[in-house]
Amino acid sequence: MTASAARAARPLLGAAVFLAVLGLWQAEARRHPSYLFPAASAVLERASHVWPTSEFLSDVVSSLERLGAGYVIGAGVGVALGLVLGSSVGLRRLLEPLTELLRATPAISIVPAAIVLFGLGEAMHVAVIAFAVCFPVLVNTVEGVRAVSPEVRDTAAMLQVGPVERAVRIHLPAALPQIFAGLRIALSAAVILLVISEFVGAGDGVGHYITFQQSQFNTEEVYGGILFLGLLGYVLNRLFLVVERRVLAWHYGAVGESGR
Amino acid sequence: MAAAFGTGIVAPLSRVPKGTIVAGGARILKRGNLSGWLFVVLVAGLAEVIVRAGNLGDSVAAPSAAVRALASELWAGRLSQAIVTTLHVYAEGLAVAIAIGVVAGIAIGSSRTLLAASSVVLEFLRAVPAVALIPLAILWFGLGVPMHRFVIAYAATWPILIATLYGVRGTDRLLHDVARTAGETRLGTVVRVTAPAALPGIAAGIRLSAVIALNVAVTVEFINGGGGIGAYMQRQQNAYNLPELYGAIVLTALLGYAIHLTLRAAEQRALFWVGEHRLESR
Repeated sequence: MTASAARAARPLLGAAVFLAVLGLWQAEARRHPSYLFPAASAVLERASHVWPTSEFLSDVVSSLERLGAGYVIGAGVGVALGLVLGSSVGLRRLLEPLTELLRATPAISIVPAAIVLFGLGEAMHVAVIAFAVCFPVLVNTVEGVRAVSPEVRDTAAMLQVGPVERAVRIHLPAALPQIFAGLRIALSAAVILLVISEFVGAGDGVGHYITFQQSQFNTEEVYGGILFLGLLGYVLNRLFLVVERRVLAWHYGAVGESGR
Repeated sequence: MAAAFGTGIVAPLSRVPKGTIVAGGARILKRGNLSGWLFVVLVAGLAEVIVRAGNLGDSVAAPSAAVRALASELWAGRLSQAIVTTLHVYAEGLAVAIAIGVVAGIAIGSSRTLLAASSVVLEFLRAVPAVALIPLAILWFGLGVPMHRFVIAYAATWPILIATLYGVRGTDRLLHDVARTAGETRLGTVVRVTAPAALPGIAAGIRLSAVIALNVAVTVEFINGGGGIGAYMQRQQNAYNLPELYGAIVLTALLGYAIHLTLRAAEQRALFWVGEHRLESR
């Protein structure tokens, strides 16, 4: 096989290995039947019945609403605060210990406090997700703004660009690649906190679906729910990359770095 | 400098002369940030006033009450067992994750065929939130320590694996070719060229995973009870002991911060040649 033929086969190789793993799962489950380890086909069969039902879809919608609201609020706060902190050395030093402490706080710690404060309603889920999203975005924004070159800073100062305009038209675009790195980390953090908060206290949502099915010992449904979350995370990540490529096309053009 | 390239976590190269950043970073690290810590105290004081003046004691704990509760719980030894339990399983899970992540990352990163073959499976497994595996892990392992260890290790493996992979992929081809021409074996090249070049990436991955693993460790305990800080928090929440609950939050924050400082210091010692501390952001 020539090198180019091998290269052409590579994308298929990934899919082939994925199918092989599924096949292995199926064969193993057939050989050792156990309710702890249902066959892949059984899980997919169940999923094909459960996923189109309106109950499951409304769980999905509830989850996505929480995820979206928390993500947008957390990212907005993170970017805005990051732009402010990044542009002033004094302010950054003043707020550094506080942000470092809050960033190091495991987001799960916030969950019980949020339950007491907000009850088990939507506000609790959204607050917890926003908290988890905010800090990676904040830290990356600050780093991105800090990396703005002195020439650009000096030029802006010389042209007497006002602070707001400087933040929005110079610092924000310059920090954007770094902000996207933070947003991507925050995306997986958001999904994790969504699941945690729904495990702990929710009447609906995919996380609630999984814990409920587990309490009924419906293993196939539990596998299906986890499978769904895996697909959701995968699709969100893909969508994120598409958006990033579009928004940062100019950056990749300038740097020549293959997009990642 | 190809070493720190492309981990997906690092900052884009700044055009600031390298010396200034090193000097600035060293100065900031040496000089304690007194004003910043005073500001933390100020914020806590402000929260104290708001909680007291607004009579919000039913929904949030005043900072002074939280700190007092934490101190008395620590003094009475009611928390020491919980801390030991959590840190023990945390360290075990993280160690497993580092071992698997680094080895698999180097292996996959140094072979294009292996990378292509594993890409779909990796992307999918990585997308499954580890906490979603808790119900399944309970069915597999029961409620004990092995289940905690599994979930923590699962969560912490991916960032290390991915960062290692990118660190390896970003290695300068030239170094690689020189080593091969100089008669280094394939394994020797991996050990003496690829692995050191990937170290900054690996360190960044470990730093990210260290935070995630602590989060997951507390989460598993919170959801399933048993021992540890998470279970302690759950008990305090159920009993509506707000000062103790907020005290435990302060405790996890301090633990997370201590882990962060330790890893940063270790990284600066071990990776002194990276110079400019570009891996600062997680």
